[in-house]
Amino acid sequence: MSELRRAMCVEDDDDIRLIIEFSLATVGGYEVLACASGRSALAQVEAFRPDLVLLDVMMPDLSGPQTLAALRQLPAMQGVPVVFMTAKALPDELEDLLQHGATGVIVKPFDPMTLAQDIRPYWEHGRGPGA
Amino acid sequence: MSLQVLVVDDVLESRRALCALVTELGHAAIGADSGAAALALLQRHRPDLVLLDLLMPDMDGFAVTRRMREQTADRWLPVIVTSSLEGEPHFIHALENGADDYLQRPVSPGLLQAKLRHYAGVLALQSRLATLAQRQRDILGNILDPVVTLDAAGCVSELNQAALALTDAQGRALAPGVSCDAAFGLPLAELLGRRRLTAQRVSGAFPAELGLSQWHDDGRTHYTLVLRDLTEQQQVERMKDEFLATVSHELRTPLTSVLGALGLLAGGAAGALPAAARPLAEVARRNGERLGRLIDDVLELTKIEGDRLVLHARTQPLAPLLREALAANQGYAERAGVRLVAEGVDALPQLQASLDTDRFLQVMANLLSNAIKHSPAGEAVQVVLDAPPGAARVTVRDRGPGVDPAFRARMFEKFSQADGGDRRMQGGTGLGLHITRLLVERMGGRIAADEVTGPGAAFSVSFALPDGAALPADPLHTTRAVRTVLHIDADFEARERVARWLAPLAPHCVVEGVASLAQAQAGPAQDAPALCLGNPQAQGSADAFCSALRRLAAGRPVLLYGDSVDQAFCDRVGLPWLSPARSGADALRAAVQQALAAPDASEMKGTR
Repeated sequence: MSELRRAMCVEDDDDIRLIIEFSLATVGGYEVLACASGRSALAQVEAFRPDLVLLDVMMPDLSGPQTLAALRQLPAMQGVPVVFMTAKALPDELEDLLQHGATGVIVKPFDPMTLAQDIRPYWEHGRGPGA
Repeated sequence: MSLQVLVVDDVLESRRALCALVTELGHAAIGADSGAAALALLQRHRPDLVLLDLLMPDMDGFAVTRRMREQTADRWLPVIVTSSLEGEPHFIHALENGADDYLQRPVSPGLLQAKLRHYAGVLALQSRLATLAQRQRDILGNILDPVVTLDAAGCVSELNQAALALTDAQGRALAPGVSCDAAFGLPLAELLGRRRLTAQRVSGAFPAELGLSQWHDDGRTHYTLVLRDLTEQQQVERMKDEFLATVSHELRTPLTSVLGALGLLAGGAAGALPAAARPLAEVARRNGERLGRLIDDVLELTKIEGDRLVLHARTQPLAPLLREALAANQGYAERAGVRLVAEGVDALPQLQASLDTDRFLQVMANLLSNAIKHSPAGEAVQVVLDAPPGAARVTVRDRGPGVDPAFRARMFEKFSQADGGDRRMQGGTGLGLHITRLLVERMGGRIAADEVTGPGAAFSVSFALPDGAALPADPLHTTRAVRTVLHIDADFEARERVARWLAPLAPHCVVEGVASLAQAQAGPAQDAPALCLGNPQAQGSADAFCSALRRLAAGRPVLLYGDSVDQAFCDRVGLPWLSPARSGADALRAAVQQALAAPDASEMKGTR
């Protein structure tokens, strides 16, 4: 896994999901799997084997932090960087998200033209020893 | 005020005469022919005052006075004893036995009138006090918050009605005599320092805000505590927080899609846009971003105004914070082609204030981004740290279009640009400076839009120095480090230029640039600088400037330059004229080196 090729995004808002997919696939050239819920992500993640996961925070049913916790239970997901996407921007809220074990946080609204590059440092720094 | 007077006398004629006199003076009289009759009447008529004959059979006046006192323990009943006996001893004896006053028989009408008027006044005053005390008892009794008074030892001495529902940790009702420790689980000293605590009531524990007042009577100290139940308030706050979080999320979600789609369109990700469409996409994107800032600002403001902003203030040096703020805004400045220039940050490393780090950085980010936004490309934004008496001050100065003086007073208000149409505010939300002001004030500081000479605007924030904080204790800076060239020029670009020109002299000497003498004097001035370099322009009277500069230099060389001085002026004030300063870096360096090498500067060699 020496190259960031496959990115998975989990986002319940259809329009935002479309934008993210567009940014990562069309602009960034990654292979992208876009999931509309935490459950759907958990069901597909092992088959897709993403190099990085972009995860919305506020989602019905399974929230971002809950999805992250479930992802971390999967052996294949140990050490795969997970980056939260959130509209909350206060420093203590961001700190709180990192406490949940995320590699980084991207604040919404994000720049769709640079998103593919913006996640790259998280992939570079976020791969743990298990990756 | 007309009084009801009880006249007690066993002799019918004298009783009648005294009653008649009392009536004549405008008061009501009731007669009693013995002590026993008087005591019986006391219950029925509640007289205001008693005129009591001392010499009566059966029960004399002394005994009657004592019995009356026993019967009227709840109020004050003035008793004036009368007697026809010569001499004072029996009157003194009566006063010692509880009488208030005496009258010699036969009673003088004038004296009686004066005494009755006096007692009427005193009784009226007493009744007013009693009414007041009753009213306060009623108010206290009806306050819904528990009010508890503790004595100096911390024991409960009084409770209002609501406080009767309080209990100690074991569920026992609070009562006078219970210790503070038992009642609130805290020793008195600790309780007095608290603003909030968890109190116990029959129905369970509740969070309470503590109002505290200290008062004294007869040299004893008392503490009255008001416990405001915060349960409901906290519930409302929680609901409001949840609501705001939802609003924030609901507003930003569509905005994220809108801006995302526009960004992709404008970026050509979906194919190149026709040239005519590009500015339109740009308009949409710019305003979408502005909407996003508005949402952020409104939510932030709601938080601050609702007093739900939690500050983590601690006393810390300002210089590292300013460096961090400058670094954080460097990228924005570079994109705008604007330079960020810091002054005083290195010279005042120990200048401290009590601040919340994140909020101070937010204040600086607001001021810096404002200044950068309004600066023409190629200009500099200057950040000055200085120490006016008792304070630490940061000034952010730009060279933009400046602020209309008429607008200066209103610019920290909410949406202040709405009717002003001020150029500076274009593209902004109109809330930034208002939020900045609230944040500064919440941290105990002050913000001002300063008057400036020349183009541009200057905003300064100042914070009081922490208690007992003397200025810098850093040994490197208590003395002016190495050999300091103190450079005073009102024009910051000139200061920047001179600092650059003299930079090659480091570490042999360093330049400390300040805008005015006042600023120089506020600096760490235990030791005089090795050399003073000054431009009298825009410094008030040139003569006064020169003599102050000379005092500051304390015998070390002073060099003058600038358009407002010439050889003749310098000759007159007896200072060397540094004409080469205007002709370039090399000439200035040479002049400074020469002045520093002069004999009167050699004494500086002992200084680090």
